[in-house]
Amino acid sequence: MIPLHYYLILSILVFGIGALGVLTTKNGIKLLMCIELMLNAANINLVVFSRYIGDIHGQVFAAFVISISAAEVAVGLAIVLMIYRIHGTIDFQKIKKMRW
Amino acid sequence: MLEYAWIIPILPLISFILILLFGDKLKEGGGHVAVVFIGASMIISLLCISDVLSGNSIEIRGINWINWEGFEFGILVDSLAGLMMFVVSFVGFLIVVYSLGYMHGDDGVQRYYAEISLFIASMLGVVMANNLLLLFISWELVGLCSYLLIGFWYRKPSAASAAKKAFLVTRVGDFMFLLGIIVIYAYFGTFNLLELFAAAPDLEGVASGFLGLSVLTLSSLLLFGGAVGKSSQFPLHVWLPDAMEGPTTVSALIHAATMVKAGIYLTARAFPLFTPVSLLVVAIVGIITALIAAAMAAVMTDIKRIIAYSTISSLGLMTLALGVGGYAAGLYYLMNHAFFKALLFLAAGSVLHATNVFDIRHIRGLRKKMPITAATAFIAALSLSGLPPLGGFWGKDEILIASFSGGIIFFGMTLIVSFLTTFFTFRWFFSIFMGKPNEAAKHAHESPKIMTFPLIIIAFGVVLVTLPIFMNFEHWILSWLPILTLNKLNHAGHGPDFVVPLAVSIQLIALYLAYNIYCKERFTSEIFIKRFRPIHTLILNKFYLDNIYLVFAERIVGGFSFALNKFDLGVVDGIVNGIGIVSMRISSRLRKIQTGLVQDYASVMLMGICALLILLKVGGGL
Repeated sequence: MIPLHYYLILSILVFGIGALGVLTTKNGIKLLMCIELMLNAANINLVVFSRYIGDIHGQVFAAFVISISAAEVAVGLAIVLMIYRIHGTIDFQKIKKMRW
Repeated sequence: MLEYAWIIPILPLISFILILLFGDKLKEGGGHVAVVFIGASMIISLLCISDVLSGNSIEIRGINWINWEGFEFGILVDSLAGLMMFVVSFVGFLIVVYSLGYMHGDDGVQRYYAEISLFIASMLGVVMANNLLLLFISWELVGLCSYLLIGFWYRKPSAASAAKKAFLVTRVGDFMFLLGIIVIYAYFGTFNLLELFAAAPDLEGVASGFLGLSVLTLSSLLLFGGAVGKSSQFPLHVWLPDAMEGPTTVSALIHAATMVKAGIYLTARAFPLFTPVSLLVVAIVGIITALIAAAMAAVMTDIKRIIAYSTISSLGLMTLALGVGGYAAGLYYLMNHAFFKALLFLAAGSVLHATNVFDIRHIRGLRKKMPITAATAFIAALSLSGLPPLGGFWGKDEILIASFSGGIIFFGMTLIVSFLTTFFTFRWFFSIFMGKPNEAAKHAHESPKIMTFPLIIIAFGVVLVTLPIFMNFEHWILSWLPILTLNKLNHAGHGPDFVVPLAVSIQLIALYLAYNIYCKERFTSEIFIKRFRPIHTLILNKFYLDNIYLVFAERIVGGFSFALNKFDLGVVDGIVNGIGIVSMRISSRLRKIQTGLVQDYASVMLMGICALLILLKVGGGL
């Protein structure tokens, strides 16, 4: 059986890639994709621990996360679309509305 | 009947509310409503007074309007209150009737009748209150009505400023009255008048720690301060002559017959609290007032102002009478004064109604055209002048006798006042009614019946109120006073024999002078004016008291206010604005850390979470 820490390292890597993407990317679509990566890193953790502990609840929870993230992405895409309509761009480095 | 006495002040109050709400829909602005209600109130009060005359008195402890000892609506009807009720309701009623004619066709009649109803209600409240708080409330209401009615023709700037002046000047007195009530409550622990008088002897000689005055002296002087303002005594007399800007009926009712008597009433009511020291102050204030006002009345030329100054002078005499212990004399004079002075004002109103000339030098010989006005004015003038046989004579003589026991200075000054009084009264009467009719008099005509009728009634009243002096007036009016207070009084009628003949002969000289100058015009007053030019100028300018007050108000009060304003704008506002400016400066720097970029916020959030985790790990939480 593959040791537990292999999965955890994979999960950390995926999460790190996602977080780095969220903080650095200019493109709104890429930003949403990076968020998905972070969510899936969490899913890996849930499933792995569920398997190792022998408790099915973790896998059920992962299924919930997937379905909710689908809905979240739909909302996120709608927001990005609206931002594009209003500002004519989805470059998040150029949108500075969220201040005083 | 006495147990229903509480209805008396309620009726005019109802009339006030009715006229206020529905007056615009009624004829004469609700004047008839006022006549009916005030008339009913007068009838009940006359019935009550007949009870009081037979020696009864009553105190009704009414309802408490705050759940605390002393905050109550209660009434006290005894001989003193009965006397004042008689004056207020009777004269008030006749003047309201007279108003139906005098105010006919004025724009503001609804306002007029509403205010005059409220005035009569609150004046009855003053004289019937059984505790100082209710008395003070009514007192202030009376002041308010006076303000409203002086400024009745508020579009006229002089009326508006006269109203303001009256309100502010009497306020000085009212403030002292309030202080007096506070001092009294602090030492006596009650507002109730009868409890107060019962407790007064126990506090005799207790020092108040203020200027070395005893408690009784201090509290009685403060109460008298209120009386000085309301009864327009020196040095707060300056408002009353200006108050003549109101309708003549108002001058008659408020500023001659009733309201100005409130101060005398208060002094008479609080009499058991007065000590020899405070009585001396009362007497001095009274005689100064009487003297300077009589002097001013002798030189003024405005038909109403002469009567106004004579009112101040008469009020001074009443105050003097109370001060020197002529209690019954003062109150007898008060009752007579209410009638003859109201009559004088109404006669003056009748003259003004007919001619609209205010300067007595420009009206002459009205007696042919206005016989009723002239005859009634003569009766009033005779009484005011202090010549026999009417009430003014008896009252003034009693006051003279009382002043004799107060000291030779008081007596001498009172004699001068009687000389001046006779002189200016007949100067007024002869100038207007005697001599050859001039241009203004030729077009005059007698006033309508609704106005002459009350004149005649009051003229009868003037004659009738002379009578009590022959009955048991003194005994009756003194009957409510505690025994200990009675011992302090000088009983009138014990002066030396020469007082009355001396006074009458002096007054006859004055009459002779006035007759020759103003009736026969044998010589003019110019020779006197030339000889005493500086004194004449001084008196004509009202002893420059108005100017002194004006300078005081402008320079000292104004300067002080200016400094306070600077302090407010500079220091108080400066601190507040300074705090605001500093926080604005700081926040304008601080807000730079908000970039508006989502990713910056996200990275800070991530750093925060990492820091939190590290902290928890180091702290052993995980």
